[in-house]
Amino acid sequence: MSFMQFHRLVDVQARMALRADASRYMFGYIWWILEPLLFVAVFYVVFGIILNTGRADFLVFLMCGKLPFIWFSKTVNQASGSIVHNKGLIGKVNVTKMLFPLGIIQESLYKQSAVFALLFAVLAFNDYAVTTTHFWLIPLLLVNYLMIVVCSLIAACAVCIVRDFAMAIPLGMTFLLFSSGIFWDVRDLGDPHKTDLVLALNPIAFLLDAYRQILMNQTPPDATHMGLMALVLVVMLIGMVWFMGKASQYLALRALTA
Amino acid sequence: MSHQERPIILRLEDVSLSYHSGKKTYDHGLHRILDSVSLQLFEGETLGVIGRNGVGKTTILRIMAGILAPTSGKVYIQRGKSSALLTLGLGFRPDLSGRDNALLSAMLQGASKNEAKSYLEEIKVFSDLGDSFEEPVKTYSSGMRARLGFTTALMTHVDILLIDEVLSVGDAQFKQKARQALKKRIRGEQTVVFVSHSESQVRKLCDRAIWLEGGKVAAEGDTGKVLDDYNNALLGDSPK
Repeated sequence: MSFMQFHRLVDVQARMALRADASRYMFGYIWWILEPLLFVAVFYVVFGIILNTGRADFLVFLMCGKLPFIWFSKTVNQASGSIVHNKGLIGKVNVTKMLFPLGIIQESLYKQSAVFALLFAVLAFNDYAVTTTHFWLIPLLLVNYLMIVVCSLIAACAVCIVRDFAMAIPLGMTFLLFSSGIFWDVRDLGDPHKTDLVLALNPIAFLLDAYRQILMNQTPPDATHMGLMALVLVVMLIGMVWFMGKASQYLALRALTA
Repeated sequence: MSHQERPIILRLEDVSLSYHSGKKTYDHGLHRILDSVSLQLFEGETLGVIGRNGVGKTTILRIMAGILAPTSGKVYIQRGKSSALLTLGLGFRPDLSGRDNALLSAMLQGASKNEAKSYLEEIKVFSDLGDSFEEPVKTYSSGMRARLGFTTALMTHVDILLIDEVLSVGDAQFKQKARQALKKRIRGEQTVVFVSHSESQVRKLCDRAIWLEGGKVAAEGDTGKVLDDYNNALLGDSPK
């Protein structure tokens, strides 16, 4: 199967799944936006109103962090079970197992484009200026996407090989939810060393902070840091593509028998 | 031309397959499915595979289709030859319509989107699904699923068709139609490996047969002879 044909298959699969998904619910496609907004609303009520962070711009601050984070966490969570869930198909056709996580990633890419459009509308409505700094969004979105692809492929293989990972991955996402500065500001820790440490150790915290720097403060993110992240991710991606090609039949055996 | 004079399209050499299950059940959790199986498949022939439940018939088809790799041994397949496994059961996406599933299946077997689309009307007519073709597969009966699965695989063109127990489900009328379509393909130089419990089907459709027992080839050769040996062994095993 050529690359183009494979890409076509991933895309067709994703569009079909989205259509089937939308037809199942009364609100259909509206859920693409409604679900993340409800998540934001829950966090806003708890941290913005009940615990009162005291930030005037808390809603925008929260949206800039929470919406990209949902993209990451939901995609990786869903992709983690994607090989195992398709064992019926895997038992019938010799196909690269990347098809299944990539299908999920493509689905969420479509959904997320609507979510980002909403985020930009909210920012425009709140009079945040659009400057040339916004060009930084392009590499940032690419690195974010790459991060999702790499983590999804790793998670899907891990769960296929040892099912116990299916228990650990949601827990890991909860840890990231609390440790990545979604409802608190990583630049507000009081100790600059601590801020640097969180940004250096937690790539999700770095990405979310970069979104806020660009969208709210018109400040470019740390280009070296982002470039390094991109390099590591590309190397990991090449490694995963190699592994999944090499271990295709092993993954099939694990999906069918474990 | 006898089958042995035709080129070999696929060969298994000393193929074994075993795996460890997660639970340490017996033999330290090691399951031995196939044990040193060797066989040859000649171009254009129909090879029957018989044997009791759990002797590795489906596994051997999966190895031939390249879905699973043997733990040891070698699989040789003629360069550029494609194969498809035709089987009942799962493999469909229950939320998607019959049409979408057929399109995806054809694309998964290597068809381009336009090629796949061109098969759809034919699939709809042959499978007798009518308006249900547009409904989600989760609403289908098992017979309807079987019809869709059989038709989708039959319409897409592959060099080696691997068939796993598909003629045993569906109503009498469809069974008849499926058998005829299959016969047409077999006469048309299609290479087929055919797994079935139904002795009469194997007798009618296959040029040669192999009998699998305990993961090994117990007999191989002329269909009538292999089936007779198999039957004698089954009778010998049953309580007197």
